[in-house]
Amino acid sequence: MPTLVQLFWLFIKVNLLTTSGPASVGLLYKESVGILMTNADFVQAVSFSSILPGSDALQLAMFIGYSVGGILGALVALLGSILPPTLLMLGVVSILNRLRREAWVTRFVSGLTPAVSILMVFVAWQIFNSSNNGSIAWQTLLIAVGSLVVLLLEAPVPLVLFAAGLLGVFIF
Amino acid sequence: MKSIKLTLWLKLFWMFLKINLLSTSGPSSIGLLYKESVGTIMTEKQFVEAVGFSHLLPGSEALKLAMFVGFAAGGIPGTLVALLGSILPPTVMMLGVVTLLQRFKGEAWMQGFVMGLSPAVAVVILVVAWNLFRSEKSIPRQILLIAVLSFLAFLLAVPSPIVLVGAGILGVILIR
Repeated sequence: MPTLVQLFWLFIKVNLLTTSGPASVGLLYKESVGILMTNADFVQAVSFSSILPGSDALQLAMFIGYSVGGILGALVALLGSILPPTLLMLGVVSILNRLRREAWVTRFVSGLTPAVSILMVFVAWQIFNSSNNGSIAWQTLLIAVGSLVVLLLEAPVPLVLFAAGLLGVFIF
Repeated sequence: MKSIKLTLWLKLFWMFLKINLLSTSGPSSIGLLYKESVGTIMTEKQFVEAVGFSHLLPGSEALKLAMFVGFAAGGIPGTLVALLGSILPPTVMMLGVVTLLQRFKGEAWMQGFVMGLSPAVAVVILVVAWNLFRSEKSIPRQILLIAVLSFLAFLLAVPSPIVLVGAGILGVILIR
């Protein structure tokens, strides 16, 4: 039971402090890996939620919820992710036009953005290092460089991830 | 009157079901959503407003966008119908995949798959971070300052939520 409460609070927090699915990955990593799940589980969760159709954020939440507490965990994580934006929406929509002129909300989000980006750089580094035991394997480096090149050429993310996984099956 | 509303709700529900089955994330669903909704249930101006506003509030973008569109088309009930249509496909799919994955967990090829995924996921996160950072055309001094301060804070292992809230508050104070 305490884990479910923990899970619920985690997603409430993540959904209040980040503005979109991909951007929430950094904070989610910091708050869940080592506490609720392993690094390998997290990488799997990010990849599969990106490859499958439908909202990344929700799938990621459910995947994490599931690995922590089964089906019930998945539903708790879903609820925690839906609640903040829904309440905000229902509350805010009526005063929408006034709030738009309330510039501090915009500025809060603008201030949030660079911090979220930096956090993601740290998390990317941690995930990259997790697969290496001390020294970086040539396979890891190859996949990283390859992914960077095709992503810069604007290949779709789900495709890149799927190909990277497939490559992993053959070269590791 | 009642049946008109019901038709609208069904239409909304089906629209979001379709969008969430055909696109894999929030940002990529915007194009599809535009084609499906502008001109049929809302005006272009309303749509642009919805997209802008869903970036502004915290929480999942895709969900907020869905709820805005739902609200514009059918008020509060429309909001809830759009939410339901967006939640259903990923929920069902995820539960299916997750039970399937549990079975493959020990297999060697699955471990290779995850090992191949790790560096790619790291790079994807980096690219997203970069795109997020330079989303505004020129990077103002204040944003740069907040970035440097957060970098230092993370190096000193300050808990992430505290850093984020601090960055937001700095934004309120510094950005004009």
